[in-house]
Amino acid sequence: MRNFIRTGAALLTATAFTVSLAAAPVDSSELQVLRDQVQALQQQLKVLARQIELKEEAATAAAPATPKITVNDKGVTFASADAANSLRLRGLVQLDHRAFFNDGGAAAGLNNNGFVLRRARVIAEGVFAKNYSFQLVTEFGGSAVSILDANFNIAVSPALQFKLGKFKAPIGLEHLQSDTWTFFNERSIANNLVPNRDLGITAGGDILGGKLNYTVGVINGVADGASTTNADFDNEKDFVARLFATPFKDSAGSPLQGLSFGVAASYGREKGTAGRTGGYRTDGQQTFFSYLATTITDGPNWRISPQLDYRNGSFGLLGEYTVSAVNVRPSATGLKTELQNKAWQLAAGYVLTGENSSYAGVVPVTNFDYSKGTWGAFEVTGRFANVKIDDAAFPLYASAAASANEASSLGLGLNWYLSKAVAFKLDYYQTAFDFAAGAPAVPTSTALRQDEKAFITRFQLAF
Amino acid sequence: MKLKFFLLSLLALGFASAASAKTVELLNVSYDPTREFYVEYNKAFAAHWKAKNGDDVTIKQSHGGSGKQARGVIDGLPADVVTLALAADVDALYDVAKLIPKDWQKRLPDNSAPYTSTIVFLVRKGNPKGIKDWDDLVKPGVGVITPNPKTSGGARWNYLAAWEFAKRKLGSDDAAKAFVAKLFKNVPVLDSGARGSTTTFVQREIGDVAISWENEAFLVLKEFGADKFEIVVPSLSILAEPTISVVDRVVKKKGTAEVAKAYLDYLYTDEGQEIAARNYYRPRNQAIAAKYPGNFAKLELFTIDAAFGGWAQAQKVHFADGGTFDQIYAK
Repeated sequence: MRNFIRTGAALLTATAFTVSLAAAPVDSSELQVLRDQVQALQQQLKVLARQIELKEEAATAAAPATPKITVNDKGVTFASADAANSLRLRGLVQLDHRAFFNDGGAAAGLNNNGFVLRRARVIAEGVFAKNYSFQLVTEFGGSAVSILDANFNIAVSPALQFKLGKFKAPIGLEHLQSDTWTFFNERSIANNLVPNRDLGITAGGDILGGKLNYTVGVINGVADGASTTNADFDNEKDFVARLFATPFKDSAGSPLQGLSFGVAASYGREKGTAGRTGGYRTDGQQTFFSYLATTITDGPNWRISPQLDYRNGSFGLLGEYTVSAVNVRPSATGLKTELQNKAWQLAAGYVLTGENSSYAGVVPVTNFDYSKGTWGAFEVTGRFANVKIDDAAFPLYASAAASANEASSLGLGLNWYLSKAVAFKLDYYQTAFDFAAGAPAVPTSTALRQDEKAFITRFQLAF
Repeated sequence: MKLKFFLLSLLALGFASAASAKTVELLNVSYDPTREFYVEYNKAFAAHWKAKNGDDVTIKQSHGGSGKQARGVIDGLPADVVTLALAADVDALYDVAKLIPKDWQKRLPDNSAPYTSTIVFLVRKGNPKGIKDWDDLVKPGVGVITPNPKTSGGARWNYLAAWEFAKRKLGSDDAAKAFVAKLFKNVPVLDSGARGSTTTFVQREIGDVAISWENEAFLVLKEFGADKFEIVVPSLSILAEPTISVVDRVVKKKGTAEVAKAYLDYLYTDEGQEIAARNYYRPRNQAIAAKYPGNFAKLELFTIDAAFGGWAQAQKVHFADGGTFDQIYAK
């Protein structure tokens, strides 16, 4: 339109010039007609310019009230003009391939190699009136469709926020990390001892200038590694609390700036209910420990988990130690015993391409683009983890023939971040098992007859 | 000792006064051409309020097309008071959002219209197109500048003035409709408010005649020079009654009801009326109006109640969706 006006102005000038040149030979009436035409054209140009001006004014005035739509590697976000209300749609797809070695394969009854749709999630998050947010996570991966998270958050202030609904129990450090950004494809075997998702309410927030995060809450209470089935088994509840400090976060340049540590704990009671004891899995997702089906929980259960995270440039370290205690009976009237299972892990990563290691993931400086010769980011990772089952669990509450008494796992990995949203990960895991006294030379569980050796590769799309 | 006690008492009194003095902020959401008027009025009221109560009051102004401004308040613009171009726009605050009571217009004298105005023509110096009355505006080749009646209160007054003129001259509403349709065919640009139209006519040099608020036309002469523009007074025009109201739900929430009411009441005082007259608004106080004879044109005025049965009816027939304006302006 502006070009049109410029062209029109040029034509007008030319016309006016022509008129002036032609002024002498033409009569006055003809000249007047030409003048009128020029004036009419000038008016038309001014009208067009004004209409553009008004459109621009209207657009400028409307801009502050225009909702914003953002599409990027964080998903699709619809936000009101004042950003007080928003809706974000995200997704996560993890396609794994698991390959196990030296386990006897099909001949031993182990048909565990193959592709697995580990996670396929549609995530909706939103904010209303700035202080009220929600999260709804639906899981289509695995063997059943489920709602993983369904919660809403009321932000009274940064220091006081209430979360209600279904969410991750605030205990395990690696467990609280996004599935997308853990060092390894699978969380460590130490993660078996912390509860997964539960229903309840928590209060928490950042205090002391954001250097201390606290969470306290009440949840229904689930077994180690288990998620709630959206129903409670009894009237008892678990109390949870977590403190996590980042005391040097403002100390720019200090090697301790990326140090954070804390402790989480839970306490609750279970009342004579069956099916509350969890089984523990290897990195390859094979069960290496489970209670006997007749075992029931009855009495106090508690957990404590000191935890640490350290980041310094490309280097990252995550460690945690967890004790999970549960009171069990072999039957409704059997002997009650408190069992204390313990686990720990230490994992580290180093981003070879120089990007920062972060609890919230590695963001490549450049995306993989073959035509441009850019390759994204590469990270090498290593981990050692151990789970020790209470010796008293055998043989009354667990079978020494079917369950290991201890598992120790070594993991090595290479992560290729093609972009913030796309990653390819290759992990090797080797897990060794020890057995309780009295266990047979050959365990009844074929998966436990040798060390678990597995390659797990993953293609991940997360936005 | 007595002196010390006296000084301490004075000091204490000073602190107490300082502690009790408040600073209040009001938002006056108004229509387009009232900027200059309310700048002067706000200063006067702030001084009056300070002298009366000891409190500081700051009045913020928001201006735009009257209908557009009303929608803004309905959509959440926190106006303590509205001073809009016509009653229909204030009515909308009740009709759409119940921000004010239904009988808001009865709360202040003169149906809540402390000053009036009318509609005149503004032409370029020498009146090159010989504009004398409304029927000159429908002649071919005459560029007429008027804002959009959908968004501008002033434009609606313009529209109705033209309609009534044509109805009286041509004898029917159908003829009036055809007349106004012809007039709008001569309108090259529809601004959203009266001030925008003034800019279009005066600064962008578009059109031959602007249908204008009387106060806006006089302001143009004052600001841009009587050597460039002239005012043409038509044979008939409309008595335009801009109306005002406290926005009850907003002042209740903000705790500004008292000062907001006082702000509007002050418009009816001699000082308020004087400021209105100085800014070319016709004061209700005729004694004050008489002091400014050069500020107000003499012409026959009709009222909207007499000609159109009031604003509610006029709004419904002419400016609601599907009304006569939509019918004649549909492209």
